[in-house]
Amino acid sequence: MTLGGQYGTVAVMVVFGAVLYAIIMLLNRLMRPSVPSPLKLSTYECGVDAVGSGWSQMNIRYYVFAFLFVIFDVEAIFLFPWAVIFGDLTSSTTPSALYALVAMFLFIATLLEGLAYAWRKGVLRWE
Amino acid sequence: MAIDFGALGPEIALAVTALVVLAADLSLRGPAKQLVNPVAAAGTVVAIALTLRLWGDERSTFGGTFVIDSLALTFKLLFLGTLLAVLGISWRFFAEGRYFQGEYYFLIVTAFLGMVLMPSARDLLTLFVALETVSIPAFVMVGLRKRDLYSSEASLKFFLIGVLSVAIMLLGMSLVYGFTGTTSLTGIAEAIAATQTPGSETPLLLAAVLLIVVGFGFKVSAVPFHFWAPDTYAGAPMPVTAMLAVASKAAGFVGLTLVAFAAFAPLAGAWAPVLGVVALATMTVGNLGALQQRDVVRLLAYSSVAQAGYILLPFGVARGGTDALSLAVNQTAFRAVLLYLVAYAVMNIGAFAVVIGVARRSGLRATADYAGLGARSPLLGGAMTVFLLSLGGAPLTVGLWAKFAIVEALTVDVTAFGLVLAAGLVVNSVIAFFYYLRLIRGIWMEAPAEGAPVPQPGFNLSLVVVGLAALTVVLGVLPALVTDTTSVVTLALGR
Amino acid sequence: MTAIPIGAHLILAALIFTVGLVGVLIRRNLIVLFMCVELMLNAVNLTLVAASRIWGAADGQVFTFFIIVVAAAEVVVGLAILVNLFFRRGTVDVDVPSLLRS
Repeated sequence: MTLGGQYGTVAVMVVFGAVLYAIIMLLNRLMRPSVPSPLKLSTYECGVDAVGSGWSQMNIRYYVFAFLFVIFDVEAIFLFPWAVIFGDLTSSTTPSALYALVAMFLFIATLLEGLAYAWRKGVLRWE
Repeated sequence: MAIDFGALGPEIALAVTALVVLAADLSLRGPAKQLVNPVAAAGTVVAIALTLRLWGDERSTFGGTFVIDSLALTFKLLFLGTLLAVLGISWRFFAEGRYFQGEYYFLIVTAFLGMVLMPSARDLLTLFVALETVSIPAFVMVGLRKRDLYSSEASLKFFLIGVLSVAIMLLGMSLVYGFTGTTSLTGIAEAIAATQTPGSETPLLLAAVLLIVVGFGFKVSAVPFHFWAPDTYAGAPMPVTAMLAVASKAAGFVGLTLVAFAAFAPLAGAWAPVLGVVALATMTVGNLGALQQRDVVRLLAYSSVAQAGYILLPFGVARGGTDALSLAVNQTAFRAVLLYLVAYAVMNIGAFAVVIGVARRSGLRATADYAGLGARSPLLGGAMTVFLLSLGGAPLTVGLWAKFAIVEALTVDVTAFGLVLAAGLVVNSVIAFFYYLRLIRGIWMEAPAEGAPVPQPGFNLSLVVVGLAALTVVLGVLPALVTDTTSVVTLALGR
Repeated sequence: MTAIPIGAHLILAALIFTVGLVGVLIRRNLIVLFMCVELMLNAVNLTLVAASRIWGAADGQVFTFFIIVVAAAEVVVGLAILVNLFFRRGTVDVDVPSLLRS
């Protein structure tokens, strides 16, 4: 398929979706009863009214957890290439499977020291 | 692919030291926390021993991206020596101020780990990782006094400039990779030599090279990217300022040297004139700025901008050809940079050590507070005089030989541009002497202010100050001690 | 099946990088500045991955891995500095008169 063909498929999808949407909304409008009331315009028809503006300040403690999460989450990127080749390693390959395992555990141990640091400094406690 | 762990010895020693320091900080309480300093120093000594054990070796590992040769080992020793000196001047400062000691020592060892890695890097990726290992701890260290608004703002400014420069440098690196298909420095040089004809290079490639050079320009605080330096230096804790002004800047120069001479030597015709003009502007702006300063830390900050200009000068005459004369020019230029960096580390760390000694307990750091320092503390006054004379380039100090090496590099092959650069160096040295001598005159000729305290620098700091002052004079009298070593350091390009 | 031409990736990367750079230069909110720097780094990542595909080698993709990790570390440090400064100053505007203007 040519480049034009690929985008043509996308274009057909967009047109089809738009037409489908228009038909459904039109049918809905024709069939439903119309009883307007001010209550229907409130944010929540049932439940508690919202207080304050949408821009309220988050508790700063969320930030600290977010920082920790970002660091440890992104470090996991190095696990993927390791995991891809780890399956092919045995005791006779270079590097050997054991070597690769030890190397990865050293990496994780380094990260764990960071976690231990955060723990001992009381960052993980919510109080 | 087996990894040569022996070649990685100094890096492994520093990495282990950093982790041990962090663990020690968690287990020690109260005044015992200051013991992390000797732990860090012991780790540094081990790293120095491992570096010396490799002396004379030529090895490479990680597929040639990590190399041990005379260049790498010389710079590793320079950085590790600097680390010892910085640890010496940090002990009292951090033990007495209510700072985060454990974190500080962890961060500084980590930053030096990046610096020690830098001269061994022969690949854009390794260079980038080394550079960031220096930068990220430095951002935190600058803001270590987190209750102090100055420190936080200095840190933020440094951070913004740092990430912007890295993004620009990375764009250059990605384009260079797109052109050459390799990230190895020698591979890039070969690909450029094979595909580009001198005089009609692809404009986008030249732009990419300039982007990388601009990125390093931020790191070494060259004009027009110098404006962060005085503010950041003034706001950071003083030992961190010493580290930034000397070690971090030297690491930037090592990276610049590697990409300039190893990867982009064939394109020297394009970047050398740019760096030459930048060097002229940097030293002039630095010296003129320093003339107006009333705070010693800011004065030294502007002075270090000017010094960066001197170190950039030899890059201005680099040549792209492969004939004997061009190679000789590049080799001399490289040795001048190396010699100046060694001299600069000795004299500038020394000057900052004296400033920390004077400011201890009293917090005094205005130039006026140095009036009569010679009478109050002959040790600090005398040492400061030596360091300032050396920064100016006076006879009998290592600073003279460093400047001499630069003039020599500029005149290996006499060109009009080389002579202009040399003339700029001479004129700027004269301007610089104005403010160095003004401070020295204050130290010896003026009477101390009423009730000016007698500085009590403490044992470790005195030891560092005396050692560095002695080194400044000894190397000034016997420059052969260092020139003999640096003359064997060759810029190995074909690897 | 033909691929999207390689030049298109590079043009897109250049556009994203320019958006980021212009954002850094004209925006005043520090959080927006951080996002713009991230845009610049992601443009670099796109260039590297595209170049990696031209050369049929994995170097560029490995480089991208490292950039992602380093960028995350950088941004966390930057946000930590920012949060600390926000406590002292109560604003995240870069133009607020600063103590350090020399």
